[in-house]
Amino acid sequence: MRFYSIAVYLFLYVPIGIIVLFSFNAGRHASELRGLSIQWYGKALSNPFVGDAFFTSLVVAFVVAILSSLMGTAAALALQRLKGTIRILFDGMIYISIMIPGIVIGIATLVALVTVFDFLNPLLASIWPEGVKPLKLHMGYASLIAAHTLFTMSLVIILVRARIAGMDRALIEASTDLYATPWRTFYQITLPQIFPAILAGFLLSFTFSFDDFIISFFVAGANTTLPIYIFSSIRRGITPEVNAIGTMVLTVSLVLLMTAQYLMRLRTKR
Amino acid sequence: MKDDSKPNHWLTAALLMPTTMWFLFMLILPFIVILIFSFGERAAVGGYAGGFTFEQYANLASRLKAFQNTLTFAPVGTLLSLLMAYPLAYYLALRVDRRYKLILLVLVIVPFWTSLLIRTYAWIFILGGRGIPLMLEWIGIEGVRLVNTPGAVMIGIVYGYLPLMVFPIFVSLEKLDKNLLEASNDLGGTPFKTFMQITLPLSMPGVATGCMFVFILLMGEFLIPAFLGGGKVFFIGNALVDLFLQSRNWPFGSAVSVTLVIIMLITVSLYMRLTSRTKTGRDESLM
Repeated sequence: MRFYSIAVYLFLYVPIGIIVLFSFNAGRHASELRGLSIQWYGKALSNPFVGDAFFTSLVVAFVVAILSSLMGTAAALALQRLKGTIRILFDGMIYISIMIPGIVIGIATLVALVTVFDFLNPLLASIWPEGVKPLKLHMGYASLIAAHTLFTMSLVIILVRARIAGMDRALIEASTDLYATPWRTFYQITLPQIFPAILAGFLLSFTFSFDDFIISFFVAGANTTLPIYIFSSIRRGITPEVNAIGTMVLTVSLVLLMTAQYLMRLRTKR
Repeated sequence: MKDDSKPNHWLTAALLMPTTMWFLFMLILPFIVILIFSFGERAAVGGYAGGFTFEQYANLASRLKAFQNTLTFAPVGTLLSLLMAYPLAYYLALRVDRRYKLILLVLVIVPFWTSLLIRTYAWIFILGGRGIPLMLEWIGIEGVRLVNTPGAVMIGIVYGYLPLMVFPIFVSLEKLDKNLLEASNDLGGTPFKTFMQITLPLSMPGVATGCMFVFILLMGEFLIPAFLGGGKVFFIGNALVDLFLQSRNWPFGSAVSVTLVIIMLITVSLYMRLTSRTKTGRDESLM
């Protein structure tokens, strides 16, 4: 059984290792290893398309992570006070948005937003002051952020709620008994205890958004995120440059994930 | 709006406001729009023209192959992932020293959260002409084609979703009362009998959770068949990308999406019925 497990770990990590190894390829062909060099990293980093895509992905992931951790934490705190129908309704929504495949979120967002925009744009144009170019709504940063946040927000709710459930209620009661205001109790007792979960949620949301391909593929409009760029370069043919970009993307998510895992398993300190 | 402490329904409502808006505008509204579209007609330039017709649903058969492929590969892929994941989860939960448990578990979960795009791409590389086929040539086996085959898609599926299967099974095995195993052993149960009568039944909630997650995600898979199936093995997801982004037949695409969502809802309700009797939480199975 031990050998079997080692084999599974090899199965999981050898392909990733191969990508990393070939990203240091000195040769010009993707699949022929001829000495090691970092030239493809230089090529990738100086490619303006990669730079733009990277920037877009970074901005979107950052905003998604901030929005999700704020809204998710707020909702988790509120939901613990609720019972009955409303609670069941919210739980249903949370599970649906977590489990639904990305492609369905992508399509639904695309269709709904384009329909709404087609309806609003003539309206906006008609009320816009004459001589000024009217505001035109279109798919882009906002739709990317909104669609990613649907999933990540629910993820944060689940993480924070699990943390609240494991929290020591006695501390809150003690704080109230000692005449602390509710705000002060929240700030001094609740927040420090749930903070690791919020931070883990932030990091996971960032990673999800940064790595997401399929939702972005539908809702990015004219923008290109890094995964979309990688997808279209792979479609054009495999180059060592793709391996270098892939390795960088993997590194970013690995670092964030390890931190998130560490935070989630951290024991609550006094 | 029942509250255990008296104050502040307003605060609760305010805290839930943003989330409610998101669910309303990003989940409920889009599905209503898709549902309406699925009964409409395609405009001449693509997109949607109004109307009420069942034409799109009647036309589903034209994408029969995609449905067939998805409904074959998704269950088989789920089963293969389960068979591969169970022994690993068992080993991690019951055999590994406490000190290494956490790190080994994290090492399984981490790949799932890294880019599926890049992990699938790795297999184009390995299975492609200069990967394994080249090595086979060295030992004298020639003309093997691995990429763009059903087998390649299956490898991609198991590789992509194995981590998601391991974790819930691990959680349910970890929770299992070790005394039961000892009791069975003391009463002369063989290891096989102990496994069949105690370990396996008690780990079923984890198995069900893992299978459901993997199955649902596979139903919507696009990347793996796109990269490793080479146009020969395509899923509903590939049909959807074609319908929405290339041929722009939105009403028909909407009908396909609605059908897909209905298949998934049936799966989820079956799962809920299966696990409602056991109390193992669903929350903790995610991470």
